[in-house]
Amino acid sequence: MINGTVVDLSRIQFAATALYHFLFVPLTLGLSFLLAAMETVYVTTGKPIYKQMAMFWSRLFMINFALGVATGLTMEFQFGTNWSFYSSFVGDIFGAPLAIEGLMAFFMESTFVGLMVFGWQRLSKGQHLAVTWLVALGSNLSALWILVANGFMQNPKGAAFDPITMRMHLTSFQQLIFSPDAQSKFVHTSIAGYVTGAVFVAGVSAFYMLRKRHMDLAKRSFRIAVLFGVLATIGVVTLGDALGFVDAKAQPTKLAAMEGLWRSEPAPMPFNVIAIPEQSEQRNIDAVQVPAVLSLLVTHSLTGTVPAIDTLEKRAEQRIENGIPAVEALKALSHDPQDASAMAQFDAHKADLGYGFLVQRYAPHLSEVTPSEIQKAAKDSIPPVAAVFWSFRAMVGMGLLMLAFFVLATLYSLRDRIQKKTWILKVAVWMIPVPFLADEAGWLVAELGRQPWTVYGVLPTWMSASTHSVGYMAFSLIGFVALYSVFIAVEMYLMVRAIRLGPPEHGGGDAERPLSRPTLAPRPVPAAPYGTKLEG
Amino acid sequence: MRSFLYFVLFLLLAIIVTVLAAILGNEGAWYFAWLIGTTMIVLVSAAGGAMLDAHEEHLAQSQSGEQRPQS
Repeated sequence: MINGTVVDLSRIQFAATALYHFLFVPLTLGLSFLLAAMETVYVTTGKPIYKQMAMFWSRLFMINFALGVATGLTMEFQFGTNWSFYSSFVGDIFGAPLAIEGLMAFFMESTFVGLMVFGWQRLSKGQHLAVTWLVALGSNLSALWILVANGFMQNPKGAAFDPITMRMHLTSFQQLIFSPDAQSKFVHTSIAGYVTGAVFVAGVSAFYMLRKRHMDLAKRSFRIAVLFGVLATIGVVTLGDALGFVDAKAQPTKLAAMEGLWRSEPAPMPFNVIAIPEQSEQRNIDAVQVPAVLSLLVTHSLTGTVPAIDTLEKRAEQRIENGIPAVEALKALSHDPQDASAMAQFDAHKADLGYGFLVQRYAPHLSEVTPSEIQKAAKDSIPPVAAVFWSFRAMVGMGLLMLAFFVLATLYSLRDRIQKKTWILKVAVWMIPVPFLADEAGWLVAELGRQPWTVYGVLPTWMSASTHSVGYMAFSLIGFVALYSVFIAVEMYLMVRAIRLGPPEHGGGDAERPLSRPTLAPRPVPAAPYGTKLEG
Repeated sequence: MRSFLYFVLFLLLAIIVTVLAAILGNEGAWYFAWLIGTTMIVLVSAAGGAMLDAHEEHLAQSQSGEQRPQS
């Protein structure tokens, strides 16, 4: 039996590295397509201001990209070092999309990033534009394959457990990549990245406008960002609703936790706007409810219902009882793979094998399992409700806040009044951290809501970890947190420095060497008015 | 000849896109929506930038038109 503290430390370590990494990823996803939008305007209109914009924002993109790669690399190693049983159990399925991500998307993205940054003088306008689009596509394809792998953990499709090899193997690659969870998670996450990129560009542009610096660049960047952002936020909200619809079927325990739903109720079910969930008592303290809205939100009908935690625990008890013979049959098969009766027993109960594993945490010898141990394991099948409930509300609240901001900002920008509305420019600057926090909250909903499983309904978290010592895990956790905190500090320093220096040919850095050490001495602002050709 | 080759190239691209759209629309409606949605978001925001230029150019022209009779 793996030490519970080691499992917890392994979880904290992965969560910490993933949370750090996920500060960089969404900005890469969004900023890459914003660069594509800016450069598309440059190529179609030929106006050099858009080239300056693309070059300036690509400098910030590169800072973020480099640190994003550095923080992401260790996560893949952690599967092997800290989650070795998980890697052995589902590696044949989980490894495939990760390998494709590395070999196809990441290589493509990295190759074209080099061309994008150093290719301004070497490529034609059209070629450079194609490269920028390929960087954006590659970044998002990376996310696609990661989320296909994550989609399998949320809702395992296209795989089956082999009782002879004691591992899961891939049965349908098509089912794996087209699983509804993988698809809906990818579009929701990718477009959340667009929102992050849009808020970032709008915020930095607003900062320049408030200080009357780089006005041509800032106004145009702001306009492009808010239009990009308003459409992306509408997309992310509607896709989030659709993702909830998918989760309602695939992960009912996550949905019940998101909604703080302890007792099953008849339709139409009320929606808990605010509540204080108390897991030990299985009830909400002081809930503010809106009648009928939950049925409408989750089933898109007033007559639909979703199971609450009381029903889900009863279902889990039944599945645990059905899963115990599957685990016992598996033990017999591990001694004698030719045991036909054990194989027949396994086949009859294999659908609930994961639930059999779940109770093994309390009853290593399943022949001696007691009803109270089964009840305890059934209670464990519910994720931490308060954390999921509040993370979900934080994400939704911040999403709606960004929608309101983008609607107003777009309105003022389209009416060309944005420079006079200094209050919204100030709001834009203060909005910069909001999408990052919303992304982190969304990630917490997805991953905490999947607990107690690493692969939902198949493999419990408690048995997925490696058999390290507590000291080893604590040491490596401290090391990761310290190192990644340095990365965040470096990112913040480089970003703030690049933003303060400003765009090339606007008194800031070097136009032709976007990654070189920026010239601190101010350059004269070109005398030519905006719109005239500045380059040779 | 060059136009014909372009025609063949774009025709082939159109066929590939149609086949991909049919497959994606059937198997992966979400992925298809992402492709269409992303393209739309990028192009609309790019058009917004171009619109700002057009607006400023129009303003500059009308201002210079007003100033000319005075001088």
